[in-house]
Amino acid sequence: MIMAEPVPSSEPEPSAPVEEDELVRGARRGDLAAYDELVKRYQQRIYATIYHMTSNHEDANDLAQEAFIKAFQALKSFKGGSSFYTWLYRIAVNKTINFLKQRKNRTHMSLNDIDFNAEHDPDMMALISEQTPRRAAGLTELQEKLNEALLKLSEHHRLVVVLHDVQGLSHEEIAKVMECNVGTVRSRLFYARQQMQGFLADYLKPT
Amino acid sequence: MNENENNFESLRRLLALKRHETPPPGYFENFSAEVRARIRAGDAGRMESFSEHLPWLVRLMSAFEAKPAFAGAFAGALCLLLVFGIVFAERPDVAPQPLLQTAQASSPLAMAAPANLNSMPAEQPALIPISSTNPVFNTQSPDSLFASQGAAVQPVNFTLPGN
Repeated sequence: MIMAEPVPSSEPEPSAPVEEDELVRGARRGDLAAYDELVKRYQQRIYATIYHMTSNHEDANDLAQEAFIKAFQALKSFKGGSSFYTWLYRIAVNKTINFLKQRKNRTHMSLNDIDFNAEHDPDMMALISEQTPRRAAGLTELQEKLNEALLKLSEHHRLVVVLHDVQGLSHEEIAKVMECNVGTVRSRLFYARQQMQGFLADYLKPT
Repeated sequence: MNENENNFESLRRLLALKRHETPPPGYFENFSAEVRARIRAGDAGRMESFSEHLPWLVRLMSAFEAKPAFAGAFAGALCLLLVFGIVFAERPDVAPQPLLQTAQASSPLAMAAPANLNSMPAEQPALIPISSTNPVFNTQSPDSLFASQGAAVQPVNFTLPGN
C-alpha cells in the first residue's frame, strides 16, 4: 500500500464536496457516525503528513488522533470559509509544529517499514547505490538518511517539502494550509530543496 | 522555475521513497474506532462540559488553534495592557493627606486628642484611639508630635497689614 498518493488537482475530490458538507453538518450536530466517515476519508493523509514531519510512528499516531479529536470539538467554530479538508490539515499541522517545537533536540526516529512496492519502483532501483550488496539494505539506509536530512530542516521548511514533494499538494493548497502566500511557499520550497540536496549529496546522482 | 525543477528531479525521486513508508498492516482499520472511543470516553466529555460552562473560551481556543496569528495578536494586546497597567500604577492618583486630618475626620475622640497631648506625659502614647480606618501608630513615645509621622513642620508666617 502506498501512503498518501500525490493529489494531482488543487481540490481533493471532485464529487466529494456535497457529501462532505452533509457529513460535516451531521458531525456538527454530534453525529459520531458522520464524523467517523470523515475520519476514514482523511486518516491516511493526516497520519502521513504528521509521520513525515516527525519521522516517528508513535508520535504520529498520537498526534493524528488528537488532531481528529480536536477537530471534532472545534467543529462548531468551523464556518466553512475553507474546505473541511484544508481546515483539518491546518489543525493537524499546527498541532504537529507545536509538538516539534516542544520536543526540540529530543529527536527519536521510529520509522515505518518500506512496503513491497518500493523494491520494484524503477526510481527507487535507480537510486540504490551500486556498492550496496543487497537491495533491501540499500533502501533502509536511504530511508534513514532521508529522514535524518528532513529532520535537519526547520519545521516550516520541512512542512513545505512534505506537503509538496511527498504528499503532492499544490503550492496554492499549501498556502491555504499554512496561511501564507504562494510566493512564500515557493521560496521556502526552493530553499528547503537546496538544503536537502546538500545533506544528501552522496546519495543523489546528477541529472 | 523549470530549470530549478529539473535540478531537483533527483531529490524528488529520492523523496518519493517516503511514500513507501507504511504503518503496520491493519493500522488504519482500527484508527477511526480509536478516535471515536477517545471522543466518547473522557476527552470529548470533559471538553463538552467545559464548553457548556465556558463556551466563549472554547471558541477562543478554537480560533487560536486555527489561526496562530490571532493568538499572537491576543498575546500582544495582553502585553500592552500589562505595560499600561504598570505605567499607571506608578502614577500617584491620590494626593497624600496629613495624618492628623484623617484622624480628625474619622473619629471624634481623635479630634480631642491633640489638645490633650500637650499635657500628656511622654510615656502615655496610647490615648489616640486606633480604629480600622486610622493608620496604626508607632507605640513608642515620640519626642515630638510630628516627629514620628515624618511630617515637615512649617512655621506659619503671618504678615499683618501695616507691618
